[in-house]
Amino acid sequence: MDKPAAKKILISPVTRIEGHAKITIALKDNGEVDQAQFHVNEFRGFEKFCEGRMYTEMPTITPRICGICPVSHTIASVKACEMIQGIQPTYTANLLRRLMHIGQNISSHALSFFHLSSPDFLLGYDSDPASRNIIGLAEKFPDVALKGIRLRKFGQEISERITGKKIHAMGIVPGGMSYPLTIDNQQALMQWIPEALDAVQTGIRIIKDFHAANADMINSFATSPTMYLGTVGPHGEHELYDGLLRFVDAEGNVLQDQLSPTRYLEFIAERAVEWSYLKYPYYKPLGIEKGIYRVGPLARLNVADRMKTPLAQAEFLQFRALGNGQPVHGTFFYHYARLIETLAGVEEAAMYLQDPEVTGTHLQTFGRWNNATGIGASEAPRGTLFHHYETDDSGKLTMVNLLIATGQNNPSMNRSITDVARQYVHGAEVAEGMLNRVESAIRCYDPCLSCSTHAMGKMPMQIDIVNAGGEVLRSLQR
Amino acid sequence: MPVITVYINGQKISTESGVTILEVCKANNIPMLTLCHLKGLHDIGACRLCLVEIEGVNRLLSGCTTQVADNMMIRTDTDRIKRYQRITVELFFAERNHVCAVCVANGNCELQQAGYAVGLDHIRYPFLYPECNVDTSHPWFVMDHNRCIMCTRCVRVCTQVEGAGNWGVMNRGHDVRIISDFNTPWGESSTCTDCGKCVHACPTGAIWPKAVAQGQLTKYPEMIGELVEKRKLLQ
Ligand code: SF4
Ligand code: SF4
Ligand code: FES
Repeated sequence: MDKPAAKKILISPVTRIEGHAKITIALKDNGEVDQAQFHVNEFRGFEKFCEGRMYTEMPTITPRICGICPVSHTIASVKACEMIQGIQPTYTANLLRRLMHIGQNISSHALSFFHLSSPDFLLGYDSDPASRNIIGLAEKFPDVALKGIRLRKFGQEISERITGKKIHAMGIVPGGMSYPLTIDNQQALMQWIPEALDAVQTGIRIIKDFHAANADMINSFATSPTMYLGTVGPHGEHELYDGLLRFVDAEGNVLQDQLSPTRYLEFIAERAVEWSYLKYPYYKPLGIEKGIYRVGPLARLNVADRMKTPLAQAEFLQFRALGNGQPVHGTFFYHYARLIETLAGVEEAAMYLQDPEVTGTHLQTFGRWNNATGIGASEAPRGTLFHHYETDDSGKLTMVNLLIATGQNNPSMNRSITDVARQYVHGAEVAEGMLNRVESAIRCYDPCLSCSTHAMGKMPMQIDIVNAGGEVLRSLQR
Repeated sequence: MPVITVYINGQKISTESGVTILEVCKANNIPMLTLCHLKGLHDIGACRLCLVEIEGVNRLLSGCTTQVADNMMIRTDTDRIKRYQRITVELFFAERNHVCAVCVANGNCELQQAGYAVGLDHIRYPFLYPECNVDTSHPWFVMDHNRCIMCTRCVRVCTQVEGAGNWGVMNRGHDVRIISDFNTPWGESSTCTDCGKCVHACPTGAIWPKAVAQGQLTKYPEMIGELVEKRKLLQ
């Protein structure tokens, strides 16, 4: 008999992430994992079809890329428009935009943690996949599921109370906001704060218990070091809405600080790979190999010096202690970082809601086309997001480039699933729970594939195990 | 004008002669769907939404261009009319590229309102997806042919009210387009006075001011009719 050929395992579609994707696990001749690749198959050509439109339409068009982080797109977009016009939003508008951005972040993070990831922690990685989801969670841990659902609702209600819409980011316009926050709505949102704090703290307890009970797994789960990119405020504080960029290397040294997002092309280059529509971005000065960097909650907490609010700051110190003076590289800690950001979000929401100007009515400044180039950035739930527009002198878009968080995490996602697959997959006849661990490495990043490849909707994903000859030995599809 | 009697949907109505069925309906609060009609402009019966059935006439006629006659038996509410109205609105959507979700006129568009009025929930005709120009050359306004329904309200307001005659119509069938001057970019027009009346007259998101974002568009088409009345007073 021939000796078994090298094999590949294909996990497709990865369940419980947003979008459509496929994982291929390539096995060597001895059945051990050679490498794993994360493919994204849909391409929506968003940038192309925006060309020829007026730049002022982009804040309305781009939130339609994604139903999970529309506010981040709108914010990056209005900032690009404001650069084209050379104007600044008003103080009140900034407060309202911050609130909307926080609201979106809270609901996105709540979705990621409570709905998509906590079933693994509370029900177990090896539990029945049919009920390893929010429904199964609601049966066994109804209080936790309810808290998650309510927390998500709080996030959505922020945008609803300001603009009348739950999901799409209407009302955020170049120069400011279209709608004020009424005093009634301000007070209604303040009512939520204690409950929202309690829900996040429940999440933090769950993740810490899981850390404690599974220290070996957590500390060895996809721990390859990378660089990090995130936005910080003027004093190095954690920042999602305004602020400037900071790159830190794998040892935590600050390589670039207070960098204007308008200079992103000087520091980020992208390489296309033939097996995925996601491009491979990297930190240009260090090249493709060394310049691999991550964005998102883990990155933001690794680049920041501190949080803005007390409860989040206390958690932040515990988080940073995990790295012993270095960045925290363990991919699993994305979850913890996400919850710390959610905690910060609730505290900051309370802070902005108490600002006397939050119900102000000076909402918008006005401008017209003045500059050909507009570049705007914001910290989306999944990481730094860039919108870059070039226009002709009538304001018509001639070039659109959207650099999306999930795209930037793509190289690291591949590295992480390879790490995890090597650890848990030995041969094609691997248990489903082990493949779930590989998938869960992807879920740590909470990738939103619909926007990163500009693909539509939520589709499932599949895992293929393939031999060295490319023959699919096993294919899991759920 | 002599007073005559007409019957609309069975209701007996006295009206002066020489007026259109649409005018009588308006005066008597009888709803009638319109798109190309705009008070202050000459009616041309372009959109075919204001359809009426008249006893003794086989085809459907447009209420905005048909004058009442004594003892006319008119119906505005038959199933046949509703069927044709729905087809017409569907064809408007299928003909050009209407993406309401990202349109500046979303929530403030007469075509959308017509869609609601005929109960449009899907479109049965294949979309044509024509390639349409977006003319951004004017310093203040945009002309987006993707959203134009060829009602020619812009053409008529520009000629009949402003007297500038910038807008015109070129080609036929699916290729028909509104043009500025002799098909030059709007920003290079030698006739446009930048008055903005066409912006208000346009029922859709085809003509809009560059300065507005979605949700901020306020059109005031009634202004055209009011202007015409005021001008009459000055004459
Ligand atoms: S013009 Fe009206 S119908 Fe057309 S896309 Fe805009 S809102 Fe929709
Ligand atoms: S641009 Fe507007 S007013 Fe002019 S024909 Fe088209 S839809 Fe009618
Ligand atoms: S309103 Fe009568 S045909 Fe358009």
